[in-house]
Amino acid sequence: MTAFDTGPAFLSMTEAAEAFARGEVTAEALVRACLARIEAHDRRVNAVIRLDREEALERAAALDRQRAAGALLGPLAGVPMMHKDMYYRAGRVSTCGSRIRRDFVPETTATVLQRLDAAGAIDMGTLNMAEFAQNPTGHNAHFGHCRNPWNPEHCPGGSSSGSGAGVAARFFHAALGSDTGGSIRLPATLCGVTGLKGTQTRVSRHGVMPLSFSCDNVGPLVRTARDAARFLRVTAGHDPKDPTSSREPVPDYEAALTGDLRGLSIAVCETWFLEDADAPVLAAFEAALETLRARGARIARIRVPCLAAVNAYTAIISRVEGATIHAAWMRERAADYAAHLSARLYAGYAIPAHYYVEALSRRGPLLRQFVAEALTGHDLVATPTLRTRVPTLAETNVDADPANWSRFMAVSANTRPFNYLGLPTVSVPCGFDDRGLPVGLQLAGRPFAEATVLRAADAFQRETDWHRRAPPL
Amino acid sequence: MMEPDLVTSAAEAIRRWSGIAMPNEAARRSLADLTAIIAEVEKVRAGMAFEDEPSGFEAALRDTKEPGR
Repeated sequence: MTAFDTGPAFLSMTEAAEAFARGEVTAEALVRACLARIEAHDRRVNAVIRLDREEALERAAALDRQRAAGALLGPLAGVPMMHKDMYYRAGRVSTCGSRIRRDFVPETTATVLQRLDAAGAIDMGTLNMAEFAQNPTGHNAHFGHCRNPWNPEHCPGGSSSGSGAGVAARFFHAALGSDTGGSIRLPATLCGVTGLKGTQTRVSRHGVMPLSFSCDNVGPLVRTARDAARFLRVTAGHDPKDPTSSREPVPDYEAALTGDLRGLSIAVCETWFLEDADAPVLAAFEAALETLRARGARIARIRVPCLAAVNAYTAIISRVEGATIHAAWMRERAADYAAHLSARLYAGYAIPAHYYVEALSRRGPLLRQFVAEALTGHDLVATPTLRTRVPTLAETNVDADPANWSRFMAVSANTRPFNYLGLPTVSVPCGFDDRGLPVGLQLAGRPFAEATVLRAADAFQRETDWHRRAPPL
Repeated sequence: MMEPDLVTSAAEAIRRWSGIAMPNEAARRSLADLTAIIAEVEKVRAGMAFEDEPSGFEAALRDTKEPGR
């Protein structure tokens, strides 16, 4: 069966771009296929906040005319996308998933949106998300909970919930998420798609709602590692409007996707990441390691003592920075937040300042230590993205029952450390649990080693078809 | 779980320092759950210290890149 057998919406991002470039499909056909999926199924998924139907069709028609005229178009030309509702576009409402910003109209456009526009992508609108990107489950009290397209009783993952659920549901070919503690990789794993968090500073954050200045990252949720490679090449690179963005050269990530893992060493940290993992998750993870081994990778089991400190500091930074950003609203409009969010922010004000300063000061040394302990002699670290089976929305609903707090916070246990460490990390689907929900494999590499991370993810996807499976909506 | 009197004193410190009142019952739970972070900090306290030397995170990102990059 080819991807076309199930319609243009089922093409991956790069397949759609290449089909458009070859004249095998029009941009209008791609947009209409996606719109039809949204209209048929979003009542069940609730991924979309705002659908810019007419603007998308106009943009598609313009791209079709340009291609027919022989114009040189960008590497994402004709591809319908939608983005988490926290990427600012001048003159358009960006709710950030909140009541507080329900009518917020920014005056600037995010650099990453400008780069996607320049590459020819078609922006169809905005997506549901955790309120202010502050939960890992996908609950949203203001726009309704986004739901997992594999089973609507289960969490889609957050905070980029609509991005993960929508890519999985074949509503569009790619979506921007953001990742401060796992908010790209969690919805990717819970919904069965591919999500990439680049090296800290790899992608500009200009025009993006901040959550934590130190740990925020911009990145894609897509179907394949190849999609992520192309998306990253378009969006990465220094931006004068974001002085923190890296000046490291941006390589051709797709050129690195050779399928060959011979000589690559992958470390499995037996500390932290596998503790109390559910059996179906462990089974899928071990099977994924075997697949990587079959492709030529060497698998090593290691222990990483510095993870205890990494985890202690990780929690401190994001809590304190989030609390700081929201202080004025917490004084004046606390009742406008969902209960779980105001509660989470509130605790951030109790953390002593000296620990926050220390957490920042130790970040560089702990990165060096982690690289020495885990990535010296090894190219990548592999973990399950989520240790447990995908939880239900009910059992992680803190607003309904504060006793769910620990389960709610545990969702991001395996993703948070890589935000503190700033390392490039991808999550790819690697199976299903005993309830039919996806399981994810997380791969992390050294700073700016996105090409190596994606090479391994792509090689894995050449051997498996988990990323090709769509939920039966 | 944080002892009730510690929750009360932390809430009072937040009110005085930040001008923010406890918004709801879940916030009490969230505050009490800081015990988990405190426990993690306690475990690594012996190895924790402010760095005497300049140690920028961005420099560490550059210095620990893949060999050959």
